[in-house]
Amino acid sequence: MINNPSHPKKGHLKNRDCKFTKAGFEYIDYKETDILERFINDQGKILPRRVTGTSAKHQRQLSTAVKRARFLALIPYVTENMR
Amino acid sequence: MTNFYEMTYILNPVLDEEKFSEIVEYVNKLITDNGGEVSEVEEWGVKKLAYDIDNKGTGYYVNLYFTATPNVIEQVEKNMRIHDDIMRYLTLKYDSKMKRHYELRKKGELPVLFEEEEENNEEDN
Repeated sequence: MINNPSHPKKGHLKNRDCKFTKAGFEYIDYKETDILERFINDQGKILPRRVTGTSAKHQRQLSTAVKRARFLALIPYVTENMR
Repeated sequence: MTNFYEMTYILNPVLDEEKFSEIVEYVNKLITDNGGEVSEVEEWGVKKLAYDIDNKGTGYYVNLYFTATPNVIEQVEKNMRIHDDIMRYLTLKYDSKMKRHYELRKKGELPVLFEEEEENNEEDN
């Protein structure tokens, strides 16, 4: 994640539009870890809405999806901070 | 009243292929014996875990979809909990939104996050 150029914290996000709304997501699937990984930081924390611009509705769905994926060890609960 | 469910479970990776399919059969049988109907089973195979579960770094993932009544879940989960080689399981009840998502996924028409455009722009700058 630290080398991910499309990571929302890298400042490439100029518009604050919700990406999920734009793409027409109805449900965020915990199995799609490549999507989830864009919305967590390198420690494995969920990024806040003010950083990603996600709508409140999709942020709630996202947090559920991330937590399900964590439970099934698809994405980590915590990662050591890379130095 | 029947519902549509999705279940993912992780098996002990130490076992061999035969044993894997045996357990998959066992779980499917648990569902059908209790009056459920399995519609799709997808085996993801051995995958690396994001963190260790029971001191194991990998796990054999199985993902399945089925229709059943709520009391079936109770029976199935009770049996899965005491099974030694099932390390973890997650059952989800599907609502209408999730079902639509599932249909789209089957057709391969899932919405994508538009990222390519923005990446191209970055290269231009």
